[in-house]
Amino acid sequence: MDQFLQHIVNGTILGGTYALLGIGLTLIFGIMRVVNFTHGELYAFGAYMAYLLVQVLQVNFFLSLVLAAALGVALGALIEFVLLRRLRGADIDTVMLVMIGAGIALQNFWQLAFSGVAKSINHPFPNLPLVFGPVSVAPIRIFVIIVAIALLIGFYLLINRTRIGVAMRASFQDPDVAALMGVNIPLMRTLTFGLGSGLAAIAGALLGPIFVVTPTMGDLVALKAFAIVILGGLGNIVGATIGGFVLGIVEEFGAGYISSGYRDAMGFLLIIVVLAFKPQGLFAAKERIG
Amino acid sequence: MLQVEGVTVRYGHVAAVREATLRVEAGELVTLIGANGAGKSTLLKAISGLLPLAAGEIRFEGRSLGNASARAVLTAGIAHCPEGRRVFPQLTVRENLDMGAYLRRDRVAVASDLREVFALFPRLEERRAQAAGTLSGGEQQMLAIARALMSRPKLMLFDEPSLGLAPTLVERTFEIVAEIRRRGTTVLMVEQNALAALGMCDRSYLLETGRIVQHGTGDEMLANPHIQKAYLGG
Repeated sequence: MDQFLQHIVNGTILGGTYALLGIGLTLIFGIMRVVNFTHGELYAFGAYMAYLLVQVLQVNFFLSLVLAAALGVALGALIEFVLLRRLRGADIDTVMLVMIGAGIALQNFWQLAFSGVAKSINHPFPNLPLVFGPVSVAPIRIFVIIVAIALLIGFYLLINRTRIGVAMRASFQDPDVAALMGVNIPLMRTLTFGLGSGLAAIAGALLGPIFVVTPTMGDLVALKAFAIVILGGLGNIVGATIGGFVLGIVEEFGAGYISSGYRDAMGFLLIIVVLAFKPQGLFAAKERIG
Repeated sequence: MLQVEGVTVRYGHVAAVREATLRVEAGELVTLIGANGAGKSTLLKAISGLLPLAAGEIRFEGRSLGNASARAVLTAGIAHCPEGRRVFPQLTVRENLDMGAYLRRDRVAVASDLREVFALFPRLEERRAQAAGTLSGGEQQMLAIARALMSRPKLMLFDEPSLGLAPTLVERTFEIVAEIRRRGTTVLMVEQNALAALGMCDRSYLLETGRIVQHGTGDEMLANPHIQKAYLGG
């Protein structure tokens, strides 16, 4: 039982960052109908920017996280502006190939710029875990989950309570009519891709100090983000949030009760089960929001 | 107010509208009639900036709308109530109306327009927090009209507002179009129901295979033998 609680806590912490990755990807798919194969690279980008700022440039840790997220938004917006904007109306195969190519180019660029050697990022939190009864948690992990939840809530409010959020959802549901209402659809696409990318980058910047930073760190994470999006129903932001937490907890249980070697397999096993019984995703019947 | 001069619109190599010329004066209710596929909706979309012009010119209040964006056309004062209602199904009624006023910054006037729209369509006020996709077809049409009104247009384009509605609702929809005009908004309406469209309009244009082939007051058009034969079942 003690272990059970510990797994739940660990899984929730991991799930928070998975949720950030998942809603970024599902937002981009929902609004732009683009399967973003650069999502994992944006995640690695966030981690590398945090490394660059904290370790090389000696910038304050917290400020570095904010800057890494902002740079992620900027890189995402740039990718949209340079590549995707030219591909409007192109068929989905072409767009996919271009995005896969962009992902390969970015990943190799990280390797060129930062070498293949794993980097670690120092953080200002004490390493001694905090103990709550049977559960012990490193302070940095508590920080990560608090930031993740704050971002998830903030993002939810942005999408549901602001003028720009309503316009985003409207553009997702009917771009032509949204344009008739005066929404600048190309700008909305750039913004969406930037925001989704920023969420991937902040997830990387948050997990960088917990794990290590490598050029290929985005590969597995991108696959998991796709799994979360499928789990939650394509384009469903609430679904992706829940999907992120479910995946985090399932992975923890798999690692804890079966074998840590099966950690990454657990998530995919879950996807297979969900797709076999509910191919539209767990939350597809609910209203899609984003 | 609105001048469309020699406008041609193409889908690929096919010209859906050819050298169409029409005008709408301030305060008028003008209709555009014709069969399915005659190019009526295409012409409206070109006016709204949703489709590019292959040739010709569109002027509104003396200013060229050339190939203006939908946003610029709306800013100029033209709202478009699209065919098939096209409400945002997963936004609430209130959010749909907010989208209608998306470009407006005058919050006080928007709030008063919202009250006015709710007074005109009390059902929408009752259902303001409901997802628009859960409304009935008639209610969705009212919402689409209300949404277009929220931009406070000088000219309102209606694309087949009666399409797919029950007969009593069709009548109600036309009453609302007439009421909107009475309140001072100029109207250009595309309508397949030629009898109703000609009965309520000041002037009308008939489109056949992309060309404007007849034009006149509602009464002149009703009396035209070709229109009687082809469009009024006479």
